[in-house]
Amino acid sequence: MMPEERFNVRHAHKPRRDAYGFALRPQYVQTYQEYAHIYKEEEDERSDKWKNFLEHIEKSSQSCSLEKAHTEELPAEATEQKAYREELQAEPTEQKAEIVSESDEEGNDKSSLKSISEGSSERDPKKEAQLPKETGKSKVQTWSFIRSSLSSIENMMSIRVRKQKNMKDEHIVVDKDHLPSIEEVPSQDAFEDGQEEDIYLDASSGATSVSNRESDGLKASGEDEVVDGGVCNSVQADQTKEDVANGIHPEPLFPWNQELESLVHGGVPRDLRGEVWQAFVGVKARRVEKYYYDLLAEETDPGESMDNDNSCGAFRKWRKQIEKDIPRTFPGHPALDENGRNSLRRLLLAYARHNPSVGYCQAMNFFAGLLLLLMPEENAFWTLVGIMDDYFDGYYTEEMIESQVDQLVFEELVREKFPKLVNHLDYLGVQVGWIIGPWFLSIFVNMIPWESVIRVWDVLLFEGNRVMLFRTALALLELYGPAIVTTKDAGDAIVLFQSLVGSTFDSSQLVLTACMGFLAITETRLKELRDKHRPTVLEVVEERARAKKWKDSKGLSAKLYSFKHDPTITEEKSTTEEESANGDVSQSKSDSCNLDEMLKGLSLSSELDSLSDPQDQVDWLKVELCRVLEEKRSSVLRSEELETALMEIVRHDNRRELSAKVEQLEHEVAELHQALEDKTEQEAAMLKVLMLVEQEQKVTEEARISAEQEAITQKHALYVLQEKYDKAMSSLTEMEKRVKVAESMLEATLQYESGQAKALSPRSLPGSTQGNPTRKIPLLSFGLGWRDRMKRSNDSKSTNEQSDPPIPQEETTPTPQEKTSPTPQEKTGEEVQEHVEGGSDTQVFD
Amino acid sequence: MGCSSSLPDRGSGRLVGPNVENGGAADAKNLRVKLVLLGDSGVGKSCIVLRFVRGQFDPTSKVTVGASFLSQTIALQDSTTVKFEIWDTAGQERYAALAPLYYRGAAVAVIVYDITSPESFNKAQYWVKELQKHGTPDIVLALVGNKADLHEKREVSVQDGMGYAEKNGMFFIETSAKTADNINLLFEEIAKRLPRPALSSSSSIQNP
Repeated sequence: MMPEERFNVRHAHKPRRDAYGFALRPQYVQTYQEYAHIYKEEEDERSDKWKNFLEHIEKSSQSCSLEKAHTEELPAEATEQKAYREELQAEPTEQKAEIVSESDEEGNDKSSLKSISEGSSERDPKKEAQLPKETGKSKVQTWSFIRSSLSSIENMMSIRVRKQKNMKDEHIVVDKDHLPSIEEVPSQDAFEDGQEEDIYLDASSGATSVSNRESDGLKASGEDEVVDGGVCNSVQADQTKEDVANGIHPEPLFPWNQELESLVHGGVPRDLRGEVWQAFVGVKARRVEKYYYDLLAEETDPGESMDNDNSCGAFRKWRKQIEKDIPRTFPGHPALDENGRNSLRRLLLAYARHNPSVGYCQAMNFFAGLLLLLMPEENAFWTLVGIMDDYFDGYYTEEMIESQVDQLVFEELVREKFPKLVNHLDYLGVQVGWIIGPWFLSIFVNMIPWESVIRVWDVLLFEGNRVMLFRTALALLELYGPAIVTTKDAGDAIVLFQSLVGSTFDSSQLVLTACMGFLAITETRLKELRDKHRPTVLEVVEERARAKKWKDSKGLSAKLYSFKHDPTITEEKSTTEEESANGDVSQSKSDSCNLDEMLKGLSLSSELDSLSDPQDQVDWLKVELCRVLEEKRSSVLRSEELETALMEIVRHDNRRELSAKVEQLEHEVAELHQALEDKTEQEAAMLKVLMLVEQEQKVTEEARISAEQEAITQKHALYVLQEKYDKAMSSLTEMEKRVKVAESMLEATLQYESGQAKALSPRSLPGSTQGNPTRKIPLLSFGLGWRDRMKRSNDSKSTNEQSDPPIPQEETTPTPQEKTSPTPQEKTGEEVQEHVEGGSDTQVFD
Repeated sequence: MGCSSSLPDRGSGRLVGPNVENGGAADAKNLRVKLVLLGDSGVGKSCIVLRFVRGQFDPTSKVTVGASFLSQTIALQDSTTVKFEIWDTAGQERYAALAPLYYRGAAVAVIVYDITSPESFNKAQYWVKELQKHGTPDIVLALVGNKADLHEKREVSVQDGMGYAEKNGMFFIETSAKTADNINLLFEEIAKRLPRPALSSSSSIQNP
């Protein structure tokens, strides 16, 4: 049931999890899917390469020993196959699940995890009575040897481990050879099939037989068991050990080292990875039989190992932290179910017991979890031991000194390699340590995509030091530095960095950039830089430690100091006082530590023994304690003084002033900016007003134009009028001429008439002749009157003269026209009248 | 002439005011603040940040190794915006050695404890002291009692938290990242307590 369930769960979650079963961030799902087929192609390519490589080195190096080993193998193989069949019958569902997930590594990880945890899940702390038996059982399922084809690599790496061991002179080194057992795992054919689940089953059942034999052997001959089958191999190992001791470089023995390195840079095939990693870390050379189970036994049996209160407190703290962190390690990963978590818990607790200077540090949970996905529990333990104790020695201890040193070293390297980026980060106020701190501490777990994490680990574990950590971090800065330089504030820069780094799916590019681009970063170089920066870190750490100790001891010393100066105190009181003091001591562990050391240092016990009377003893102790505390107090006071002095120095430190000045300047700059802004605003306002004025101007201009136009039209009208007037005037002058003509005619007529009258007067009737002139006079008088009027209104003489002449003319010069009939005369008279009416105002223009 | 010179004066006097509000003066109205979250492991620091920044709550969030960074901008009622640059630190005791790297230069420190854990409250007090000693001089401190939804398991009373906060001149609030209670309020209140860069000079420069 269980496997099926898990299987379904995995498929339901498939879009949200990658091939390793790790959660994908939603924003990266798309990118991951794009890269998934690239990963697959790379995977196919590298498994071919590795297969050829391993076959090659195996043939060349171990042709003799293999034959021998094969004969030894036969019985083991039989048992193994039997075990395999048994398992098939017992758990058909599991098999089914595994077959379905054939080429899927994840399925195997789970199945291995499952069987590990199945065996060990019964190993509940409650069943302590059954422990010895249970341990034996769980050993069967939690340890497997790696395939023989990798043994050459393993040997090479083992030399490295031994070298380190020799250098460190570790006390836990047990000079015991585990090589023999390797040959008993007949995974050769399985490897050629390329079927991981088969390998696992082979391996685990092979291990079953091995450990059965081993346990038999243990019962019979104790610790120093050597299986004959491995003689050849162990001889070789001894030889290499000698070489190392003689200072001979191991390279000649392993001519394929270069080839292996390039293969590792290309990545380790998924189905080999768990074992290759173990080979790199040198699990075989590290492993001490039963050690892991002893640690677990200590853990489940609290009474056994509690040497003092101090460590107990620390363990309690670690246990609590581990408990807190287990559900927070790859939450939701299909393999980390109840059983997986139990293995994780055991692994972490065992490590804490193994190395109390580290105990448990957050981040280890992820490493342990990752290792458990790739290998059985005890293998994972030894791999973790290798990583933590060698590769990252001093990194995760209480003070995290090496980790801090590495950050300083890295910062220096970044300043050297990417001055432009660092300048920009400085300008933004971003410290390189903020960004790379988490990368280093987590060895990129959860920082970059899983495929990339694992590829980086491949190289890191192969190289056996932290060089790859630096190279990868530098590669990431090289890849994303140019983008970061464009950011405008600290927050944006960091967010961008995080998201870019989180999308580094091109694992091959990353590893290549890291390995090829930063060849100058070597372990020697790093060591130099570390030595250079370490004192700074140590100084700070010691400072902190002193401050802490001082703080812890202050309360206690004050209490006892007052007691000393109180003479009325009774003995009961003193004892209770001491008891309470002791209580305090046990509460704060560092204090108890101090006190213990102090008491030991003073060798009180011997002096104490010399005083037989308990009363005396108490008194003496009391006095001694007070003396010590007094001393401590004075030194504390002194340190306090020093601290204040230091504070004073710090206060006088001109850096602060400078920073204040910088701040002030910044403020001023801000103010200037503000002023500038205001000015621009003012300018804008001015511009606006200017625009307004301009607009007004435009309007006036328009008005002017229209006025001009009007003026033009008026002028035109005037012109027209002028023309009319001229016409009128010309017609008037014509009329005048006519009038003159008419007048002259009239005069002529009158003359003629008068002449006729003279001639006729004697004869003609007066009535009739008189009638005519009377009729004509008014007309003449009218014409003359008009002329007079005209003369009066004219001021100038010239006009008088001009207008004068016609009168004599009229009166004097008779014209032939005057002979015309009276009808035209009348007519002209009318016309004259008309012109007089319009002429009055046209006088001016004359 | 007289007419034209008086006009811009009136105009600018009118226009400077709104300009500042429109965000012309980035420093006065758009603040950027470095905030650091400190506190015991597992009290919910990361959950508070995730709730505030993404509005999400994941009961099985990952362990924070080293520190993680997120940023979020909020707008206040007086049309100010505050961009929080949040450093969420690892909770385990030994990571305290790395904490100065993150709290140095921070304008705000949010110290979180779990109301169901007196131990985490003690740890919070340790952080308060540490920051009073080594933090930025005028740092804004906030004490946050998280997991307020688990009131049936409460072991640190509101009075204890509030009393301690008052004594140390801190802002105090109880929150729940799970139910989102008071999470936004926490950051809004912090924003209100931030020292503002003086608006000042701009208006005085303008007036003759």
